[in-house]
Amino acid sequence: MPLLDQALVDGVIKRALRSGADFVELFVERKRNQSISVEESKVQRVSSGTDLGAGLRIIHQGTVSYVYTEDLSEGGLLKTADLAAQVGRRGGGRFAFGDLTGAPRLPQPIEVPPHTVGPEAKIELLLEADQAAREVSGAIKQVAVGYGQSAQEVLVATSEGVHHSDSRTRVRLMVHAVAERNGEIQTAMEAPGMQRGFEFFDDTSAAAYARTAAERAVSLLDAAPSPAGSMAVIVGNEFGGVLFHEACGHGLEADFVAKGSTVFTGKIGQPVASPIVTAIDDGTLPSRWGTLAVDDEGVPTRRNVLIQDGVLLSYMYDRLRAGQQNHPVTGNGRRQSYQHLPIPRMTNTFIAAGAHSVEDIIAATPRGLYAKKLGAGQVDVITGDFVFAVTEGYLVEGGKIGRPVRGATIVGNGPRALHKIDMIANDLKLAPGTCGKEGQGVPVSVGQPTIRISELTVGGTGVVAPGTMRP
Amino acid sequence: MNPIGERVLERCKRLGAEDAEVYLSRGTEFTVRVYNREIESLVSAESRGIGLRTFRDNRVGFSYTSETDPDALDGLVDDALLNGRYNHADEANVLPVTQPADPLAGLASPALSRVEPQRKIDFALEMERRATSLDPRVRRVSDAVYSDGTGEVEIVNSRGLQAWFARTVAYGVLETIAEQDSEMQSGFAFTHGRDMEELDLAGVVQEAVENAAGLLGARPVKTATVPVVLHPHAAAMILGVLANSFSADAVIKRRSLLAGKLGEQVAAGIVTITDDARLPEGLASRPFDGEGVPSRCNELIADGVLKGYLHNTYTAARTNGQSTGSAVRSFKSVPEVGVSNLVLKPGVLTREALLARVDNGLHVSQLTGLNTVNPVSGEFSLGLTGHWIEHGLLTTPVKELTVAGNVIALLKRVVAVASDLRFMFAGGFCGSPTVLIEELPVGGL
Repeated sequence: MPLLDQALVDGVIKRALRSGADFVELFVERKRNQSISVEESKVQRVSSGTDLGAGLRIIHQGTVSYVYTEDLSEGGLLKTADLAAQVGRRGGGRFAFGDLTGAPRLPQPIEVPPHTVGPEAKIELLLEADQAAREVSGAIKQVAVGYGQSAQEVLVATSEGVHHSDSRTRVRLMVHAVAERNGEIQTAMEAPGMQRGFEFFDDTSAAAYARTAAERAVSLLDAAPSPAGSMAVIVGNEFGGVLFHEACGHGLEADFVAKGSTVFTGKIGQPVASPIVTAIDDGTLPSRWGTLAVDDEGVPTRRNVLIQDGVLLSYMYDRLRAGQQNHPVTGNGRRQSYQHLPIPRMTNTFIAAGAHSVEDIIAATPRGLYAKKLGAGQVDVITGDFVFAVTEGYLVEGGKIGRPVRGATIVGNGPRALHKIDMIANDLKLAPGTCGKEGQGVPVSVGQPTIRISELTVGGTGVVAPGTMRP
Repeated sequence: MNPIGERVLERCKRLGAEDAEVYLSRGTEFTVRVYNREIESLVSAESRGIGLRTFRDNRVGFSYTSETDPDALDGLVDDALLNGRYNHADEANVLPVTQPADPLAGLASPALSRVEPQRKIDFALEMERRATSLDPRVRRVSDAVYSDGTGEVEIVNSRGLQAWFARTVAYGVLETIAEQDSEMQSGFAFTHGRDMEELDLAGVVQEAVENAAGLLGARPVKTATVPVVLHPHAAAMILGVLANSFSADAVIKRRSLLAGKLGEQVAAGIVTITDDARLPEGLASRPFDGEGVPSRCNELIADGVLKGYLHNTYTAARTNGQSTGSAVRSFKSVPEVGVSNLVLKPGVLTREALLARVDNGLHVSQLTGLNTVNPVSGEFSLGLTGHWIEHGLLTTPVKELTVAGNVIALLKRVVAVASDLRFMFAGGFCGSPTVLIEELPVGGL
């Protein structure tokens, strides 16, 4: 069933055009969510809900106006169109909007739509995971596991006559384990997810992820405080890609670039990274968390090489910035929901695989930190300065992995760190995440192979080792 | 009674729910973002949503929707009842038995809805214009936003509760870029109130410009052990990190670093922290919480001693306590436990007098990596940006410093609290004055 009758869609767009707008776009969304959580080994919460609404964007010359509503009746939508026309301001700028090119792709194939599976099977999965985590060690004192599914249908229709739709179904598991011994508490989490149906769990063992989280929490109990200072840092694959995403990726989004507020402005064709670095944003990867058939402006997604062999090739654009900067669209116009304006966003962003094995990299490192897993971080987009927590870390001494360390953070500057990447492994993996920008959260993948940054500041609770001091 | 609420409650009863609660929210939003003397975007909208909790055999069911047609409302009830069948039975799953909340005056400014959109646009344009004309090193603004909104909450339940309140908020956000040679620094500031008239245009401009320009030339310094002064915003951010540890739910689930510490000294004697949902200037103030329980001021840490945790009806029932009116939620979620206006009580010292106590130390204006703090163990390792303090005055800007430690240990090392209370959104509406912490090892070069 279409989200909205085509005649109504066309009627709303026509009505909004009466204001003399250069461009009108209607975005309609229905999103059905279900989540289940198990805590203290009991089913705590089975919740479900539906978000349904529409957003109407109109552009007068360079000025964008946006109105949204939950009232999708004919009367409600026409009223919204009138309101949009009324709030629409004539800007002094020129109307420029990226042409919508490329054939729409098919939505990701879903074998078992998650809403066709009853809560029983999902609960069984969670209880198994809960038990698996608890069986790892008596030190596991608390386990929280959760299951989430969402099915988002979107429709994008514009005054150019474009009518594109997409359907995005996601399932995800979350495991959070707390280990406690002699008053010492450590936590670890795992959260795998894909754009697939419930068949995701045919080849993904919830119990195995739960054990992994629990084992890490327990091993952290024995970890020593991390030393602080400047040293080589080996960043692990998969979620380690969050470092590139945050400290460089955002700086390649065309809205930041347009304002000259990133260090990458004006650097197309110039070296911005070590020559071994190639970085890609690809919205077409099968079943990935940030994959889209069309973006939230109806633009078919594509594979965009951002950095090739260290040279900056492209930024990421939405239609507005593509038009303003006279660049082809890239399929990066995204929004959290119908309540938000689309802005340039990443999809699945990663550093391409290199030639080394992880063992090579460790063996070639006389002294450093192996940040196998990164956790939360914070970045100043303007400067690229970042701080990330290392949730699983080891000292590397004499080319060998040494004792586990806890409480480490890595501190540095993204663009500078890009130049200091001196080894890249062949173990590229992606991980799902939710990226926040201007108050909008969208699903993305981050990823990378294991990489080595020749020098980075490590913050930790341990004593600063004498060898790490520098003048 | 609200006709939607009435219809939903009636169906719940008919289909066998022993109790039910309908949470309805409505809101409006107006946001204008300007760039280069032009409107970049303008958003104007109304939104709504309904969340339903059902109670049957001590099992809670929950569902939500943004649709209000009869079919959607019937589906809402059916989904909540179905979801509830799978949840474990717990005697603590009950609706609150509550007195009507005392009204709280001044939460909504009726004048806001009468402000012409053009005046709001002019406010944003004026922020940008002034920000680029104060200091020759600040010629660009990366973000200038005016935004306001109204929010209405209505809760009806099968125990006869009918509660309603409305709230308004307006704010201006400004981010400037300072440039010198090839260096860029950003400076952020915001101003807030219940109404556009309460916004401090000159203040937000001056602060955003000073924050950016003041950091030009910032450089790393050598590792040292020195007294550390936290700007009110930096201190408020740390309060925000602590916020979830006051939740009884986090305590029950062993996710609080304050678990098991009731009655213990958890901070220096000079530290008193309250969560006051009736604070006149608090943007999170409300007459009642997400379950309709009247709001109040909760003393959490008094003279350094942990006095209590925050409760909703569920955690109160589980621990044989009383709800502290601390249920927070949106229509899309069940009531969780959370803070409202979390405040570190100001002292009597002026900020200048506090700084005068420091001969050689560090003033921290920005903390980075707060979201990396381990919420359970309290361990942190943060990036610091700010200024060196020499003889009580801020001098050289410094950056890329790190400090590592534990939140509780940090609270115990507070030696002075100034009188200059300021607020910040940090996982709640958090307020703190300038704070002096005794010597800490600060990692640098």
